[in-house]
Amino acid sequence: MEPAEAEFLAEKELVTIVPSFSMDRVHLIGGDLGPFNPGLPVEVPVWLAINLKQRQKCRLIPPEWMDVEKLEEIRDQERKEDTFTPMPSPYYMELTKLLLNYASDNIPKADEIRTLVKDTWDTRMAKLRLSADSFVRQQEAHAKLDNLTLMEINTIGTFLTQALDHMYKLRTNLQPSGSAESQDF
Amino acid sequence: MFVTDCRREFYDVIVSQRVLLLVASDVDALCACKILQALFQCDHVQYTLVPVSGWQELETAFLEHKDQFKYFVFINCGANVDLLEILQPEEDTYFFVCDSHRPINVVNVYNETQVKLLVKQGDDLDVPAYDDIFRDEEDEEELSEDESDGSEPSDKRRRFEEEVIERTARRRQRREWEARRREILFDYEQYEYHGTSSAMVMFDLAWIMSKDLNDMLWWAIVGLTDQWVQDKITQMKYVTDIGVLQRHVSRHNHRNEDEENSLSIDCMRIAFEYDLRLALYQHWSLYESLCNTSYTSANLKLWSVQGQKRLQEFLADMGLPLKQVKQKFNSMDMSLKENLREMIEESANKFGMKDLRVQTFSIHFGFKNKFLASDIVYATASLMESIEKEGPETTNFIKALDSLSRGNLDKLHQGLDLAKKQLCAIQQTVASCICTNLVISQGPFLYCSLMEGMPDVKLFSKPVSLCLLSKYLLKSFVCSTKNKRCKLLPLIMAAPMDVEQGTVIMVGIPPETESSDKKNFFGRAFEKAADSTNSRTLHNHFDMSIIELKTEDRSKFLDALISLLS
Repeated sequence: MEPAEAEFLAEKELVTIVPSFSMDRVHLIGGDLGPFNPGLPVEVPVWLAINLKQRQKCRLIPPEWMDVEKLEEIRDQERKEDTFTPMPSPYYMELTKLLLNYASDNIPKADEIRTLVKDTWDTRMAKLRLSADSFVRQQEAHAKLDNLTLMEINTIGTFLTQALDHMYKLRTNLQPSGSAESQDF
Repeated sequence: MFVTDCRREFYDVIVSQRVLLLVASDVDALCACKILQALFQCDHVQYTLVPVSGWQELETAFLEHKDQFKYFVFINCGANVDLLEILQPEEDTYFFVCDSHRPINVVNVYNETQVKLLVKQGDDLDVPAYDDIFRDEEDEEELSEDESDGSEPSDKRRRFEEEVIERTARRRQRREWEARRREILFDYEQYEYHGTSSAMVMFDLAWIMSKDLNDMLWWAIVGLTDQWVQDKITQMKYVTDIGVLQRHVSRHNHRNEDEENSLSIDCMRIAFEYDLRLALYQHWSLYESLCNTSYTSANLKLWSVQGQKRLQEFLADMGLPLKQVKQKFNSMDMSLKENLREMIEESANKFGMKDLRVQTFSIHFGFKNKFLASDIVYATASLMESIEKEGPETTNFIKALDSLSRGNLDKLHQGLDLAKKQLCAIQQTVASCICTNLVISQGPFLYCSLMEGMPDVKLFSKPVSLCLLSKYLLKSFVCSTKNKRCKLLPLIMAAPMDVEQGTVIMVGIPPETESSDKKNFFGRAFEKAADSTNSRTLHNHFDMSIIELKTEDRSKFLDALISLLS
């Protein structure tokens, strides 16, 4: 899966906006949206929120977890533990990027939030690489990692599967087996 | 007719239609166009953008598109001529004109249906009253009816005499009225000047609809600064408009003081500055900027050796070492930069330059990017008129339009480099013109003609660059000459435009005085002189004071002008 696809899936998450226009309930295949009244907060998917923000028709409210103190706690927790801690949202990285790119004027202390999320991401990627390395080295058969998000799985997925494939091929070629045919001279 | 409610009579009408935007080639028009484009994007309005640089292009564009569009928006073009006569539109075509050129043609003002003018409320226009200019057709019919009356033979003779007396009285009245009308129209249309910037009018529209953003405010600021850089508006008007924009700036940009909710550094901020009027000084070295700004170069007389000495004295008076001043501004010592503005102002007062600081705005986004409004004006103008021919004719316009968006910083930097070259070329040309006495007094005006062999003369075949050059030349000439009468004369500047076709571009600018009202009479004068001598001229530009003519006709044209104006 491409990162762009993961971002596309992340855009289905709900976020709160305060619209500046009014519209009745809209019935879409994926569900209902609205009704929209100026000044009243309403929950919409991120794709609609970004579109409305670009057309200056709403104001975005940052999700609860996008707050400096909470993110500091999460980051410190992540650094302490050896395994992965649960993240506030399964799409925290994509949501941070989208919201901070398009609506940074609605999010207080946007620069610090960006730094904190990046720190957490770096710590988790380091743990992931460590565990992938030990997995390949020790030739384990299976492993279980909790609390990984889709974006993180994506970054390591292709590499890990191909590496394990190669290891398997090398291993099977080393073992002398009855079905291995030697070349005819 | 004038549009009183911009929102209802203009925007709500076009929001559901396809619109053709005809945009003139100057920075103010570009800024107005950007604001309107941003509004269109918010509301998904379909539009086509056609850049035009003259009346011929306007007509061709109109003829090409008149079958597909019913609504046309003219930005910085079209107010000062009779649009309906030139373009001959259908009955259901509507023209919306947002133009800073004045005076507005009376037919455009009094047409009730097809021509709508977007003008800022409170701009005084002095349009003559309807009755003074237009006479209803009924009076003419009365005359002809009376003539066919009276077929009875008995009282015929007496009635005939009465009718003759009435008729002659009416004819005399008519002639008087027409003479008065001609006089009124002549006074009204004699002087050309500029009104409020179109970018500011567009920003007002956005504000009324509560869709104004910081970006649009910045474009309005650049539009106003363009009018000031090109000397199109008086100092009073500039200061008043700055005050208006200052209120909007404080409304949009007051959130920085708050510790709790500080904005991201990437968000754009606009700040009011009482900054030096040295061109591009933050992107150049201070020394270069002092040499290439018309104000300092004219007052210090930098084309002469004594002028150079005065410059050194000026720098020494401020305590700025030459080595520091000649390197890039960003690399100057912080200790020198801290009080730079106040230091320069003090020393400048001693050297006779009282207006070295000017009220303006600066934009700030990211860690590296800080620009003054005048920097953007110079960069965009030089991008638009760059003589490098790559691709179709409109690429320069589109490049300049793109450089106004914050995402296209590379184009902006390219523009800044071109602007530096342009300013250097202007200063060198001015210096050589003054040193070789190329500016001659022809009686009612000063005249200067650029020869083909001069360096960078190709840069001045474009109207905006040539206008800038003429204004700088006039300022420097006024400072250099001792002849009191010459200081009050206007200037006509000629430069070769196209060597193969043998054409010359000629520009007339009003005289340089402290309290000049920037009104230019050369538009009408050029027209009359061209008529009287049958010269082959092309009055193609939206500014009537810029014309093109054949090189051979130049001398007789000038003679006609001299006799016309003396």
